[in-house]
Amino acid sequence: MKAITVICARLLQTAFVLLAVITILFFMFRLMPGSPLAAYIDPNFTPEQQATLMARFGLDQPLWKQYLIYLRNLLQGDLGESFFYRQSVAERVLALLPNTLILTFTSLIVAYIFGVLAGAYLAWKRGSVVEQICLPLVLTTRAMPEFWLGMLLLAVFSFSLGWFPAGGTREPGAEYGSIWALYASADFWRHMALPVLTLAIYSQGLPLLLMRSNMMDVMREDFVTMARIKGLSTFSVVIRHAARNALLPVMTSFAIAVGYQIQGNVVVETVFSWPGLGRELVRAVQTADYPLAQGAFLMIAVVVILMNLVADLLYAALDPRVTRD
Amino acid sequence: MKLPSITTMFAAMLSYAVLTPAAAEEIRTINIVTRPQAAQPAEFQFTQLIAQEWRKLGLDVNVQVMPWEQMIQEIWFSRDKWDTTAWQMVGRPERSDPDEIVFNLFHSTTAAKGFNFIGYNNPEYDALVEAQRVALDPAVRRDLIRQAQTLLAEDQPNMMLAHPQSTYAFNNAVWDAATIVDQSGIGIRNTWTYLEMEPLGDVTDIILNSSDNVTAINPLYISGGTDSWITELVYDRLMRIGADGLPQPWAAESYEWIDDTTITVTLREGMMWHDGMPVTPEDVVFSFEAAGSGEAPMYGPFVGSIADMSIDGMDITFSLTEPSAPFLTASLSKINLIPMHIWEPVIAEQLTLETNAESFQEPAPIGSGPYRFGSWTLNEEVVLEANAEHWAAPKAGRWILRIVPNVEAALGMLRSGEINFLSDFPGDPTVVVAAAEEDPNLTAVFTVDIGFRYVAFNHRRPPFNDTAFRRALSASVDRRLIVGAAFRGFAVPSNSVVSPALGFWHNEETVEGMEAGVELAQQMLADAGYEVVDGRLNYPEGVSETLGE
Repeated sequence: MKAITVICARLLQTAFVLLAVITILFFMFRLMPGSPLAAYIDPNFTPEQQATLMARFGLDQPLWKQYLIYLRNLLQGDLGESFFYRQSVAERVLALLPNTLILTFTSLIVAYIFGVLAGAYLAWKRGSVVEQICLPLVLTTRAMPEFWLGMLLLAVFSFSLGWFPAGGTREPGAEYGSIWALYASADFWRHMALPVLTLAIYSQGLPLLLMRSNMMDVMREDFVTMARIKGLSTFSVVIRHAARNALLPVMTSFAIAVGYQIQGNVVVETVFSWPGLGRELVRAVQTADYPLAQGAFLMIAVVVILMNLVADLLYAALDPRVTRD
Repeated sequence: MKLPSITTMFAAMLSYAVLTPAAAEEIRTINIVTRPQAAQPAEFQFTQLIAQEWRKLGLDVNVQVMPWEQMIQEIWFSRDKWDTTAWQMVGRPERSDPDEIVFNLFHSTTAAKGFNFIGYNNPEYDALVEAQRVALDPAVRRDLIRQAQTLLAEDQPNMMLAHPQSTYAFNNAVWDAATIVDQSGIGIRNTWTYLEMEPLGDVTDIILNSSDNVTAINPLYISGGTDSWITELVYDRLMRIGADGLPQPWAAESYEWIDDTTITVTLREGMMWHDGMPVTPEDVVFSFEAAGSGEAPMYGPFVGSIADMSIDGMDITFSLTEPSAPFLTASLSKINLIPMHIWEPVIAEQLTLETNAESFQEPAPIGSGPYRFGSWTLNEEVVLEANAEHWAAPKAGRWILRIVPNVEAALGMLRSGEINFLSDFPGDPTVVVAAAEEDPNLTAVFTVDIGFRYVAFNHRRPPFNDTAFRRALSASVDRRLIVGAAFRGFAVPSNSVVSPALGFWHNEETVEGMEAGVELAQQMLADAGYEVVDGRLNYPEGVSETLGE
């Protein structure tokens, strides 16, 4: 019973956070300089057309009215129509979200698997030459700007060696019945290789360093000493005993990292011509396409808030010492 | 006649006393607006150069940087709040007829809210561009258009800078270079190329790039440059702009002017929509009606001159409200032919809705053009397939447009074979030249554009209302310097809104007679009574600063 109350309370909090996000987004975009009519300026653009467009976008209404209309529509699940594309925002956003999610999660999983293993290894090799070489290397890769890293990988693996394609999710003109058929194809994974590698290199630093420091803490604890005394093999001590305990905070950091990663996607999606939500968002902000920008941000906010919720609940579930109150 | 009231007179006397000191007044700080360097490197560069030259005249110049969307707000919609700004017009096939540019950019009727955002007002000019609209004899019209250009060169309403060259490239191992068509003022990225280009080997798909997303594929919505590449191939038009820049019959078998306001067009026999239905004269009339229905607001202006249409067999007769010289280009070459059986119910439904036909996206657009719609993957690619049944069937197999926002990667893709036609390259042209020198399979093509770059002066704000002042500012900068430094040589100097790419209409004397230099400008200002005092330029005596902060 208690668990359910806690979850309900968390959901209520989440709803509040969402409302705040929606409100801030609404006013933020409208206060930014820029006109949504910029895309239509043409010698044949008449004053009547301008007025019609403004009315059509609902921008002739007072701001508070626009806000109330937006909230009402949102409650009915209607994200509005994009000014620029004249299409349903929900449709566009939902079509692009899967591409962003699969890129984000794949790259984070790669980064975390590598980070956890390498972090554990470096903790074990504490004080050695290996550590002296590897740590600065990790910090360097962590500090590289993504667009630079992306261009570098493109230049080497795509344009020089020709191992991987440079952009998109598929061969030109390749047809797949559904996104699942696309995601299951070798073609897709070949196209995703370089963006995933870029994002993974960019994000492996956090799990690696976190794992390493946790491991070093855990290794000093009594139960590890106990295990050593019992005469267990090094492998068993490091992996079975120490690593399992050091892993907890790393797992929860994964959920939070999803939020950060989506920001990074904006750059990588542009470098690799990846049809995701990040690129759409940048375009929408540039063209002052308020409904689309709000919709895309909202979708990302939902993912981030959900992942935070998951992190909270996961932490409590994984570590009995954390109480829920 | 109404006499001024005592209070008005008193106020006028008072303001005269307060605002007019004995000596001449210093000109306020002049703002010049440009887009950011990252978005528009050439524009940013030439703006800095111009500001630097203007400072030599004794002006205090402030460069303001803002993105395009903000410029629209601060310049387009606030017509009296800015001084000078960098601006650009892009080339499009329909602009092969100079009417749109010479009329809409400078006619006084478009000053309040239309494209004459600079507020140029010259009755003599108005009369010239009105006359060319109704001059059906090309020789007479050409003369009028040349006169209009001369007048603009004298008045310098804008500081014209350059017609940039567009950069294109293709893989000459995949495509026969002899079959690529370079359209005057447009370049090799044009419908004729996509129809004519012949594959040399196994690769028969044209794979090209755009850095912009496709917004919509809708024959009643002018939604963006990239989108128009698609609609031009999927839909036929009665006329098309030929490689020479002049309109020629397309879906029309022929046309004939009956009198100054009546033209009869004969529709080609045997045309089919992509769904197998025949194209009828009723479809044609419907297409023009749909454009003027109010549900396609962007196309409305292009059918505004049509008073009536009638059908006789395969002949369609258009009656116009007044003689219209640009009709062949601006209307017949512009309106997409659309199937009545698909669009009639759509228009009928849209008439009852708040939205219009621009919001309607067919899942698979049906036209009658040389390519048929294949597929569209959001923000990634659009695939068109050659329509073998078309009278001008393409030699290629498919036309695959890849969306590549990373410009540098697009060039890399051309070299690695991921694309074989570089149709959009807004980056540094010298990189493409270097790539073509290194790789014999690449052919780079540069074409002088119909479009142009310029600095607009706000005629509503002194001192820009003074022709002598504008002429001097314009003369202070050598256009060759702009072309060399800002465009790296990939542009031609300009002093006319009608590009040299439009050889028939362009008045070459405007550019040839152009003299420039800081000394010349200083002399021009001195002749007009402007004086430099303590390093700052002052108004001529008796003229006062009204906008100084």
